[in-house]
Amino acid sequence: MKSFYNKLRIKNIFFYSFILQISTCLFLGYALADNLEKSNSVIQEVISKAKKHAIESAELDPIERSSKIKLLIKQYINLNFMAKATTGSFWKKGTFIQKERYKAALLNQIVNTVEDHLNTLSTLNYRTIDSEKRGTKLVYIKGKIEDPNKNQPSVNLLWKLGKTTKGSFLVLDLEIEGISLVSSHKAETMSILRKNKGDFQILLNKYNIKK
Amino acid sequence: MKNFKFILYMLFFLTLSLGGCSNNKKYSVQNLDPFEKINRTIFTFNKYIDRKIVIPITTTYVETVPNAARKSITNHLNWMGLPNTIANSTMQLDLENTILASAKFMLNGLTLGFYDFDNGETDIEKKDFGSTLAKYNVPEGPFLMIPILGPKMTRDFSGFILDRQNITTFSSNNINDINLIEIPVNIIDKRGQLLNSIDKIYNSADPYSKMKSYYIQNRRKQVYSEKYHDTDNKNKDEEFEKLLQ
Repeated sequence: MKSFYNKLRIKNIFFYSFILQISTCLFLGYALADNLEKSNSVIQEVISKAKKHAIESAELDPIERSSKIKLLIKQYINLNFMAKATTGSFWKKGTFIQKERYKAALLNQIVNTVEDHLNTLSTLNYRTIDSEKRGTKLVYIKGKIEDPNKNQPSVNLLWKLGKTTKGSFLVLDLEIEGISLVSSHKAETMSILRKNKGDFQILLNKYNIKK
Repeated sequence: MKNFKFILYMLFFLTLSLGGCSNNKKYSVQNLDPFEKINRTIFTFNKYIDRKIVIPITTTYVETVPNAARKSITNHLNWMGLPNTIANSTMQLDLENTILASAKFMLNGLTLGFYDFDNGETDIEKKDFGSTLAKYNVPEGPFLMIPILGPKMTRDFSGFILDRQNITTFSSNNINDINLIEIPVNIIDKRGQLLNSIDKIYNSADPYSKMKSYYIQNRRKQVYSEKYHDTDNKNKDEEFEKLLQ
């Protein structure tokens, strides 16, 4: 009788652990697919809105055009993260106002870069090649920009997205043909900050001069 | 001529030993610039030459030469570089790249490389002696800013010297003459393709650091394998996750 009881318990343990494993796998699979799907849709949205904007804003005056692009970019990038990542350990040295001004300067730089390429982007095609979940909060999306007429070589892109506390995904970095936006910007800012003992004001002045 | 060759060999060994002394890792973190002060001075000189000589010539070249003709010149210059890719792919035991580059060299050779028959469809990796040295774990060494030529890692500069030396050793005097014309044409052609991008760098807050960062990232992408990029991205992932918290 006792052995029968033991057998029953072991069977139950096996059964419940099996169920638990299956449900964990299903949940993880769903969560993983969900994260990849969310990130992919963010990139698709960015590209389609940028293309649409390029066509619609062609006749707008430059200031209005820039402010519209600024609004669009702000929606999809994690500016706070980018500011921290590009200033490294010096981030803590800045005052609240300096940090906000630095973020604004960084956003302006990104807007300027996007504006320069916006007209070209409207004639090119974008396609996603692969997406990969990295760690707990990151997703990489590999894509390609191609010229349908094949007059220009294709450009490889790698989007790095991070999960926010609200569960949505925002762009943290973009690598164009292996050149990272954050790394190149970091090299520039760190060099200025290192030379000036972490003085954010000097960094901001340099950005304002070059604006 | 003998003296010139001797100087080239000395330069090659000097740059190699510099690379070996300063950094015994295969690849290192971003700070690889022990000669920053001299490099910055050379960068200012290069920028001056670029603004005063190269940009006016390049702008005239882009404005006057039709797009199709410029494309033909680019094709021809790429074709001229193929023997180097073939030799270095062989040394790197990259059979596929050797075969593809050889086939392309022979096929496009019918038009001296001015017309690209496969229209850039074949994916051929451009290989030089710098990448061969990297393949055999020679460290990349310090970052150098070379007058006129621009940014180079020490290893790549020594590879560049040897690549030039190979051409002069294994070719006839006529080819050497063509090669001497090819260098400035190549500079103008490449500069024409990067006309806006380099101006953007000049207008940044610290153009030297930006140029260095772009060059190092691009060169590492060309030279190292997927494995290196994966490790590099894993390190970045950790940093990114920490910053997201």
